[in-house]
Amino acid sequence: MHIVTKNIICNQETFTLTNQRALYWESEDALVLSDLHVGKSAHFRKHGIPIPDNVLIKDLERLKALIAFFKPKTILIVGDLFHAEFNTDVAHFKIWLQQFPNINFELIIGNHDRLSVALYKDLNITIHRPKKRIKKTSFVHDNVKSNENEFIISGHTHPGVIIKGKGKQFIKLPCYQVSSNQLILPAFSLFTGLNTKNSPKESVNYAFTSQGIYKI
Amino acid sequence: MSTFKDSEGYKIIENWMAKDGNEPFSFQYKTWQRYSNKYSGLVIAPTGFGKTFSVFLAVVIDYLNHPNQYKKGLKLVWVSPLRSLAKDLAKAMSEAVESIGLDWTVEVRNGDTPQKDRRRQERLMPDVLLTTPETMHLLFSQKKNSRWFKSLKCVAVDEWHELLGSKRGVLTELVIARLLALSPNLRIWGITATIGNLEQAKTVLIPYPEIKTTTIRAKEKKKIDIISILPDEVEVLPWAGHLGKNMASKIVPVILENSTTLIFTNTRNQSELWYQIILEEAPDLAGQIAIHHGSIDKVSRNWIEENISAGNLKAVVCTSSLDLGVDFKPVDCVIQIGSPKGIARFMQRAGRSGHSPYERSKIYFVPTHSLQLIEASAIKEAVKTNEIESREPMVLTYDILVQFLVTLAVGEGFNAEKTFSLLSKVHAFHYMTKADFNWAIQFITQGGNTLKAYEEFHKVILDEDGLYKVKSRRISMLHRMNIGVIVSDAMLMVKFISGGYIGMIEEYFISKLKPGMSFILGGRVLEMIQVKDMSVLVKRSKSKNAITPSWMGGRLPLTSYLSHFLRLKLNDALKPGSREKELKFLHPLLSRQETTSHIPKADEFLVELIETKDGFHLFMYPFEGRLVHEVIAALVAYRLGKIMPLTFTIAMNDYGFELLSDQAIPLDESNIKNILSREHLMEDVTASINAAEMASRKFRDIAVIAGLVVQSQPGTRKNNKSLQSSSGLIFRVLDENEPDNLLLKQAYTEVFNQQLEEVRMQAAFKRIENSKIIIKRAKSFTPLSFPIKVDRLRSTISNEDIGKRIARIQQQVFKLD
Repeated sequence: MHIVTKNIICNQETFTLTNQRALYWESEDALVLSDLHVGKSAHFRKHGIPIPDNVLIKDLERLKALIAFFKPKTILIVGDLFHAEFNTDVAHFKIWLQQFPNINFELIIGNHDRLSVALYKDLNITIHRPKKRIKKTSFVHDNVKSNENEFIISGHTHPGVIIKGKGKQFIKLPCYQVSSNQLILPAFSLFTGLNTKNSPKESVNYAFTSQGIYKI
Repeated sequence: MSTFKDSEGYKIIENWMAKDGNEPFSFQYKTWQRYSNKYSGLVIAPTGFGKTFSVFLAVVIDYLNHPNQYKKGLKLVWVSPLRSLAKDLAKAMSEAVESIGLDWTVEVRNGDTPQKDRRRQERLMPDVLLTTPETMHLLFSQKKNSRWFKSLKCVAVDEWHELLGSKRGVLTELVIARLLALSPNLRIWGITATIGNLEQAKTVLIPYPEIKTTTIRAKEKKKIDIISILPDEVEVLPWAGHLGKNMASKIVPVILENSTTLIFTNTRNQSELWYQIILEEAPDLAGQIAIHHGSIDKVSRNWIEENISAGNLKAVVCTSSLDLGVDFKPVDCVIQIGSPKGIARFMQRAGRSGHSPYERSKIYFVPTHSLQLIEASAIKEAVKTNEIESREPMVLTYDILVQFLVTLAVGEGFNAEKTFSLLSKVHAFHYMTKADFNWAIQFITQGGNTLKAYEEFHKVILDEDGLYKVKSRRISMLHRMNIGVIVSDAMLMVKFISGGYIGMIEEYFISKLKPGMSFILGGRVLEMIQVKDMSVLVKRSKSKNAITPSWMGGRLPLTSYLSHFLRLKLNDALKPGSREKELKFLHPLLSRQETTSHIPKADEFLVELIETKDGFHLFMYPFEGRLVHEVIAALVAYRLGKIMPLTFTIAMNDYGFELLSDQAIPLDESNIKNILSREHLMEDVTASINAAEMASRKFRDIAVIAGLVVQSQPGTRKNNKSLQSSSGLIFRVLDENEPDNLLLKQAYTEVFNQQLEEVRMQAAFKRIENSKIIIKRAKSFTPLSFPIKVDRLRSTISNEDIGKRIARIQQQVFKLD
């Protein structure tokens, strides 16, 4: 896996974007990501749609590599850590978590996170609802209204961008959407679609591939 | 032993027909006679000569001769491809049965049948059931369904040529296989129009060596008059859709001259447009003209069909929704707007007019751009020589295999060994290995992972009695909703906010609209108010600026037969025969093509290089139809890319294709032979196309049919949101994690057989190799190139590094960061 990084400054804070669907906030020593959707493939299997469980395994391998790269103190997930009910994927995740006893896992509750509060306690995940604020930056799952006084980091929309060129060429890529008062994270899980509509007003897209990050 | 002619049953029918002064056609008599001798078979007859009664009355006569061999319940299952067919057929059959004096019940069962009628049928099946392949599979998914078919004597497949060659044909093959297993003395009859491969059509329908079969061909032939409607003047740069207004003034007199006219268009989008155009031209026709296509509400469609039959409508603008079927007696004229794409299809549409025996069919051809007149000329030639396309049956459709196994498991459960032996007799699964079958079993029982079983995956379970069954009610429900092979885009219902349903529309189209914007559906201008619970709420709009939805699909390629005739016509385009008014008319356009570039003769292959402010254009004209052009274009782009890395966009129509690049294209007389060489053809094709991308597109239908993607049901509030995903996403996931999945393999096979049409490719390149290649450089677009240029369907092909590509696009469009 090839980790490419790019620093951007938002509201006087420096964030490190990666081409692996998560950002690193150095001053807080936190890795921030969104929409991991653990349990999605098992949820599909339970309803008779055979999706391989490698999907989750690969997502978690990527997360582990990012942890090894940045060695963060905190991992902050801005919603949709879980997709649906408690299932084998969630059980697998529970075991996986045990290799990181010294990292704080924190979760902003997303619309998919409907598991019981007791489970988060059991997993040692701190939960926040509806948001968590650090200095002038707030973390929410779905950013509906923007506030002048804070910079908001969110997920939920699974943003993507279509790059159009001359001769009607186009390429579709996942991206970070950044404007003066907010940043929307791409979905971390690869078992998610891309939403290329409704990008926020006056936003800049940082699209990425396995080789690089491109400002668009 | 008495002969058939003396049998009581035949006498009754003969007398019954004689009462109205009719006597059987010889093919009808032959069918009845063969049927009474326990034959199965195929009846080939044109519409309008009573082909329905050939098979239907055969069963009636047999019953009259041997009433004690028939038990209560279902005697005849009549499978037809279209729902709209069933209603009128049932009426005709009921009337016949009644006036013959039989106490049979004839009923319809399909997606439109009300709940209470279905429950009643399940308690007591009618004697004759008219249905569709999908509905038969739905019946197979019911508990204890085999009791309904034990007394069955005959299964008849109407319009078999329409089903053969599609996945619905495979569904039909499976219906027959299961009915035969339940009722071993079953007779199997197909009814078809003329196609190129009739012998094969019969074998696919009845692949059982123990059954005696026969082919009965009607001698009667339909006479067709083909009349081209010429625009006032030739545009030398033809442009699809450009001719609309002009032509409307020529269509209206045709409508007025005839009692009822069917106006066929190729897409739903076009039918909406032409409905508006005609009404604008002749406002007096309001109320006497209607629009009919697959997205129109069922009630309106029924109303339209009834009013065509009753002769209350002057004209109906329609799509293939009215291609087949019911004999609309008043229809005496057909208009085809735009390219008919194939000979069989054109003849079928022509046959919708002049339905009585010996009446002539009359079809007007209206080009949407002037070049299509060459197609009219080509069609006439083909009809004259009676060359009609074949329909190739599909094989090894694993998606249908998976669906069928789950259907059986939802129904009565199935035994693996017996089901394998049933399937291996069916034509589509003739070559299926035991290993493939076992994979399918594993796929539905364990989720397809060869290494381990998923503990939460319980779709199909091997029960204690040795039968594979579905136990979960929710899975049964999801499966029943998903039975069938017609995959549509996510559709939304369109309703008036004051109540009243108008039709269906693709989610993709609505997602581009904002509240307050107007669009056209079912011939009405509507203003969108909001989208709620999978429904679009609208009100009437007076807006002049309405958008016509573009429905996906419907872009059929030209068939190879038609393109063959097209090349021949082009060959003598500049010196037309005295009766070829189309070519005479096109003379100004053709001579411009000749002066600015060249008209390819039958032994020539034309290449045009044009430079404009858009970039550098390369046009080639193989005349092989859209799909084959897509592949050749990719191949040429790949071979050019070996000379120098380039990014192209591709556009194509049925005549040729365009490669457009922002850099000069390194092609000239010195290397053109290599670029179009037949050497390493399929290797280069495989390397050039984005096979994964193409397969991913094919996988869309496969994923739905095999139950990997849950289709949201329009109008229902429950849309299974947590199970939503796209076939593209699942394709990617399987491609990365389970490359040996047979459904993936099927997607690639479908690409090679259907998209790449390997046989046709080879033939095309052989022809090109033997042709004289002519390269012309032009300063502006030529009559042949212009329609391709304006074609909006474009895709990109690139052999550049993705990072470089992004950088270059950025340089053009944005400032580089």
